[in-house]
Amino acid sequence: MASITTSHSPSLSVTLHSKLTAVSSEPTGSGKTHHELSALDRAMAQHTLHMVFYYRDQDELFGLYDLDSWRESLSTVLTMYPTMTGRLLLEQGHDGNWQVRCNDAGVRVVKGSVDGTLSEWLNSATASQEKLLASWNHMPIDPTTWSPFRIQVSNFKEGGVAIGISCSHMLADLTCLASFIKSWTLVHRNLPITNPPSFTPLPFSPSPQPLSNGHAKPPPPQQAKDMANATFKFSSSTMQQCLSNIHDICPNATPFDFLCALFWTRISHLKPLKNNDQTHSLSICIDFRKKLLKEPIPFGYFGNALHFTMLSLEGEDLGSVVSAVNRHLAGIEEEEIRCAIERLGSSNRCMYGEELTCVCMESLPYEAKFSDNEKPVHVSCHVGNVAGKGLIMVMPSCEEGLARTVTVMLPHEELAELIKDEAILQLDPTTLLSDI
Amino acid sequence: METPFAFITSPPTPTRSPSITIHNSHCLPSSQIINMPPMLPDFSNSVKLKYVKLGYQYLVNHIITLTLVPIMLGVSIEILRLGPQEILNLWNSLHFNLVQILCSAFLIIFVATVYFMSKPRTIYLVDYACFKPPVTCRVPFATFMEHSRLILKNNPKSVEFQMRILERSGLGEETCLPPAIHYIPPKPTMEAARGEAELVIFSAMDSLFKKTGLKPKDIDILIVNCSLFSPTPSLSAMVINKYKLRSNIKSFNLSGMGCSAGLISIDLARDLLQVHPNSNAVVVSTEIITPNYYQGNERAMLLPNCLFRMGGAAILLSNRRSERRRAKYRLVHVVRTHKGADDKAYRCVFEEEDKEGKVGISLSKDLMAIAGEALKSNITTMGPLVLPASEQLLFLLTLIGRKIFNPKWKPYIPDFKQAFEHFCIHAGGRAVIDELQKNLQLSTEHVEASRMTLHRFGNTSSSSLWYELNYIESKGRMKKGDRVWQIAFGSGFKCNSAVWKCNKTIKTPIDGPWTDCIDRYPVHIPEIVKL
Repeated sequence: MASITTSHSPSLSVTLHSKLTAVSSEPTGSGKTHHELSALDRAMAQHTLHMVFYYRDQDELFGLYDLDSWRESLSTVLTMYPTMTGRLLLEQGHDGNWQVRCNDAGVRVVKGSVDGTLSEWLNSATASQEKLLASWNHMPIDPTTWSPFRIQVSNFKEGGVAIGISCSHMLADLTCLASFIKSWTLVHRNLPITNPPSFTPLPFSPSPQPLSNGHAKPPPPQQAKDMANATFKFSSSTMQQCLSNIHDICPNATPFDFLCALFWTRISHLKPLKNNDQTHSLSICIDFRKKLLKEPIPFGYFGNALHFTMLSLEGEDLGSVVSAVNRHLAGIEEEEIRCAIERLGSSNRCMYGEELTCVCMESLPYEAKFSDNEKPVHVSCHVGNVAGKGLIMVMPSCEEGLARTVTVMLPHEELAELIKDEAILQLDPTTLLSDI
Repeated sequence: METPFAFITSPPTPTRSPSITIHNSHCLPSSQIINMPPMLPDFSNSVKLKYVKLGYQYLVNHIITLTLVPIMLGVSIEILRLGPQEILNLWNSLHFNLVQILCSAFLIIFVATVYFMSKPRTIYLVDYACFKPPVTCRVPFATFMEHSRLILKNNPKSVEFQMRILERSGLGEETCLPPAIHYIPPKPTMEAARGEAELVIFSAMDSLFKKTGLKPKDIDILIVNCSLFSPTPSLSAMVINKYKLRSNIKSFNLSGMGCSAGLISIDLARDLLQVHPNSNAVVVSTEIITPNYYQGNERAMLLPNCLFRMGGAAILLSNRRSERRRAKYRLVHVVRTHKGADDKAYRCVFEEEDKEGKVGISLSKDLMAIAGEALKSNITTMGPLVLPASEQLLFLLTLIGRKIFNPKWKPYIPDFKQAFEHFCIHAGGRAVIDELQKNLQLSTEHVEASRMTLHRFGNTSSSSLWYELNYIESKGRMKKGDRVWQIAFGSGFKCNSAVWKCNKTIKTPIDGPWTDCIDRYPVHIPEIVKL
């Protein structure tokens, strides 16, 4: 296997040593052979997802590789996720849409190593270096031998491990990907799974439409040019303070509301407007598991359950923007979600980034503990193929409570400005894994 | 019941001997169909003849009892008629004196001693343990084909060939390959091969120690057989090092002897246990796949990649009288047949380099025909040892008849189902099991153990016989007194068999390789699995 190295900082390089295929411990059997992708799944075809979990690995669970117990627990947990070990194929007939053939082929597992310690990495690595911890192969024209899920285990010097997981966004969203890792850790510790995966289809989907441009093709990789990433960590006490400051204007604001409004307003300053009467808009992406009341989707639903909703910026006052966001999110009804899904056409467009997008992720990846007393030190999330307007992701932090981690992806110049922005620096964030 | 008289037979000649059908149902291009064994005429299926047959069998097999009983009856009636006084008079008239009595007594004691001393020691199989691979080593069909496509991307014809073999192989989705082969491309380093050997052999031995309570220092003889991987120091040295066995242990490492090496090891252990009284012998049979996974694209050499899978077994044999109670089986016969004198047989399974210099095992197209010949030789030797008198008499009569009266008489193929309750046919491939089933006229249940082992574990080479035996035990079919016939074929070309007799009814094992899946078996294995 060719080893890929990069050297941004002089001492940090990631070497990929080998790849193998991990399979489930039991055959899928004749029960579930094909899994239909919903319209929402297919709409996400342009994007990929990447998550990296960092652990100190004090119990040295990730040392031997071939004979480690995490390999066995991985095989056991994959038995519960037959769509993860399957392969994408195009349906026969004029519909020609993507579906998953659950044939047990397995997921790729890549072994990597980092030429530095975990602390050095978290202090000085950049976001583009971090991409090497969740390396990715783009889908070829014929995906029958292509694994849509890819797990990477990279060892740091002097202990520490980074578990990277990447997938095509057609098959999962961030919530279920984090859920999978959590299930894996629960199986590893011989505990019962809290949210067993469910594959029953969404209660509403439009009738399958033939694709407007004939055949569904694998999406070509098209990263918008010159995007940069940075991660900001806000402590619980800071968030507590911020929320109490705007308590009068918006009494039930959540940390997400606040951070979303904050970054939106600051980024809007930096973005040029094309014509004077255009307002800045924001696309907010929320997970609608457990939000539907009539036919609730279980939290373990494995597939995309995301709703994108647009909001326009009115006024510059932070407090009013926070309450606008808060009101908007509280006012989302089932009808709106249903209509949005039914309106999804068959076009292959970018769901993230055509407008500035803000993702709300409240599921807790920090509960994924491989040993009883060790939480992940840090969890990073990335979305691939984001269009030029940018992406903000608000996630929970290692420190519990109101602390949050915000990952921002913007064009290089805008991000360089944002990092120096006063309003953000006032909140004393920890910056890490930044391209600037 | 076995007869003491010699079984007279002429050596089988190519023209007139009963030809065994070997129909090459393999995917290899040229198939050779040799004559079908002539079936007995249809009227033998009628009920009346069946009872005649049963009566004949009972008569011939119990001939000694049936002749002795009337004689004993006659003698006892005579004694009763004479009365006790007459008998005493008879006794006194014989004029025995002390010297004669003493001499007779000594003679009897002497003969008895010579008899008991020259009787071969009984070899007991105390217990055995089979290796159960970890779930991470499982190879579903889709993964196998995907790896094949990725590695042989410039040879789609070879990929197609492998797919056709896999579809018809009779393997299931739960067979296992060693960890090194799961990489893309495979990483068959020497370290990985040693790793696999340690994983398989040490797991099997740990399991054996647990089951039998054997202490490592009590092992007197150690025999390890692994055909294709022979490092220095040997695998037997590896075992001795791991378990800290005694320094005066008799250890042997058999390599290069193919899939029938397991029974060769049993034979060797038996011979050694005749010489060393009160000893324990541990036999380890395995095949290490890592270093021999063919990396080229020559079709005949890709075949073993599709069939050979990871497996191993450890067996404890003993000649100690104290093991009599708890031993599972007693070894009755081992028959070894080697056809290596024939050039075609010698070359039919041959390890060589392909055009690109990659080493692989090439299987010739005559494989099934040669296997048939070897089997014929083996059962010709085995027949007189195990067949009941009725079958042997029938075979003798037909043979005499064909020689003297009419050479066109159909040769009689003895019914081995009367000699054995269970059959363990080496799971070399579906074709082998199909052919043996047809030729020995075995029912589906007889070959079930072999077919299901091929499905669940694949061809694990020399250890497959032990997985099959474990299947029969797990199904609860093994009763005291049952006889088992293990047959294995191997490169060379060899055909070896062993006959075991069950010593005590065996309870379903709770920790064997079949424990978690036995309830799903037997499964129906389709002719072709659509991939």
